[in-house]
Amino acid sequence: MKLWKKLMCNARRRSPWLFHMNSGSCNGCDIELVASLTPRYDAEQLGVRLEGSPRHADILCITGPVTHNAVNAIKTVYDQVCGPKAVVAIGSCPATTNVFIDSRTLDGPLTKHIHVDVFVPGCPPRPDAIIQGVAKAAEILAERGMNPPKTELSIAAVNGAGAPADGSLSAGNLEVQP
Amino acid sequence: MTTALARLLIFPGLLFAVPAAWFFLWVERKAVALMQGRVGPPFMQPFWDFIKLLGKTTPPRNGVGGLLMRAWPLIAVASAAGAVGLLPVLPASGGFEGDLILLLALLELPSMCIIAAGFSSGSIFGEIGSAREAVLSVAYNVVFLLAILSIAASQHTFSLEALAALPATPMRWLGVLALLVCLPAKLHLNPFSLPNAEQEIYSGPMTEYAGPELAMWELSHGLEWVAATGLVATLAAPYIATWWLAALVFVALMFVIVLGLSTLASATARLAIDTTVRFYWQCTLIFAVLAISSALFMRFRS
Amino acid sequence: MSILTMLWKNLWGGNRTTMFPARPAVSKGYRGLVKFDPEFCGGCAICKFRCTARAIEFKAGKGEFVWSYDPGQCTFCGRCVEGCIEHAHKEGRTEYALSQESAPPPIYLTLGELKHSYTVKRKPPVAKPAAAAVKPPAAAPADAPQSPNPVPGDAQ
Repeated sequence: MKLWKKLMCNARRRSPWLFHMNSGSCNGCDIELVASLTPRYDAEQLGVRLEGSPRHADILCITGPVTHNAVNAIKTVYDQVCGPKAVVAIGSCPATTNVFIDSRTLDGPLTKHIHVDVFVPGCPPRPDAIIQGVAKAAEILAERGMNPPKTELSIAAVNGAGAPADGSLSAGNLEVQP
Repeated sequence: MTTALARLLIFPGLLFAVPAAWFFLWVERKAVALMQGRVGPPFMQPFWDFIKLLGKTTPPRNGVGGLLMRAWPLIAVASAAGAVGLLPVLPASGGFEGDLILLLALLELPSMCIIAAGFSSGSIFGEIGSAREAVLSVAYNVVFLLAILSIAASQHTFSLEALAALPATPMRWLGVLALLVCLPAKLHLNPFSLPNAEQEIYSGPMTEYAGPELAMWELSHGLEWVAATGLVATLAAPYIATWWLAALVFVALMFVIVLGLSTLASATARLAIDTTVRFYWQCTLIFAVLAISSALFMRFRS
Repeated sequence: MSILTMLWKNLWGGNRTTMFPARPAVSKGYRGLVKFDPEFCGGCAICKFRCTARAIEFKAGKGEFVWSYDPGQCTFCGRCVEGCIEHAHKEGRTEYALSQESAPPPIYLTLGELKHSYTVKRKPPVAKPAAAAVKPPAAAPADAPQSPNPVPGDAQ
């Protein structure tokens, strides 16, 4: 069903639904992310919707250098996002921990825990840069649909361990390390 | 039998209602966006959203609870489609005495399904969202049902076909006004959009749903739009004998109602649940009670 | 009622949106990617010292040094550029190696993709003007070259 596949990939490119997650960020990148929904930048012209639940989203937007407390939450939420999914690391912090390099409270860049597709540098990045990153991630989802990759891109592939696949979203299941 | 099937499947049934649902969902989003000074989503956006959701995986659902979770969106779509199929758009399209009651019941089912789905999803956000949806339903349904009953009692009939054919009376305009006031609550628009309060309860009852199930929820929401605005449109429209003109007027009236609802949605903020209940039970209930009592009074007088 | 007039004006007054992929212009002093000009770099490594995020690496070698910059690590604060300019002014130079472009940094797909390094040959030290130079000007500083002619006015 080549036509259905093309239709589906077109739909994935035109309808990127985001879930935003903060893993210890200073909130600068979070503010710029919601600023991209304001009239000047208007992410909705690309069909972007900021969703309330990870299960609804295709693209997980993560800000912040990953703190120790946030690692389990990031992994749980990543597993809760239903495939096909893409991850956008917004800001320099998730990519390289930026100015917090070698800090004791952090657990490495984001790529240590999940697979990241697009990096949007900046401190904070401009909203139009964030929209470019989201559009690129939507394109990646569409291309991956047309040419599926050989290996599974999951936490298991990255570091061999992962959170339970069907962890429900009640607050009790998000383990927070003291 | 064939007219009933044609009404359910072709016009105003599924073949018309599903594209109309996507169209009206787009009109609402685009109108709200334009009024907020932005460009909204492109034209086929709800269609692309639907197709994309069909292609996503769903989390595993176990046991009876899981089976129920998968069933609620399908029941919601079926009842909303049935409600659309009952609308008396074309002249002389059949129907039966009492199909107004059936229409009301079918219009109620999608919100019942949302409430049940939130509770059966086992997440705390779902429970809170469902509780809010239930309170909202209790609040606006009193006014909604009383308004419909007053219209029906004033015209001495419970048949949709007959109601659409009869000329309008002042009682009917009062009833239509009351229906319009209930419509934002039914369709989860501002100022009565509390079950959708993402900033507070994630996605409320829909939190655990994903993929094709979510596509069915969005479709049932769109069909609810068509059914509810279609009901108000058929009650407000004059009787037109030619079928294509009647259909055109029906779609045009629905478009106007959708634009009005979008204006209200972009002009207001979300009201808290106690303010919502107070609005429906204190402000509008008095008028609904007046309407139905005067309708019954006039009936017993004549 | 004023909200309804505002909505009406918005509906007919047009949107304020920049359509994708066009981007709004950045302001004048916007700090973007750091640009390096190997011709003017003296190898003082003040930029590496001042860098807040350790985005600049400097490896000194014999007769050459390697300067590398990772925009992914950078926080675009501009301290390196300020340090370079200050150092250049102190040495009396008007040209300096670092500058910041006024454009947002580009998005990238693999970690470390934007990192680039330059290998710069150390230049021979700039020779001070020699003894056989022409008569130095009247306001010459204290370490003016020795000249056979006594400098009028300046004892040293």
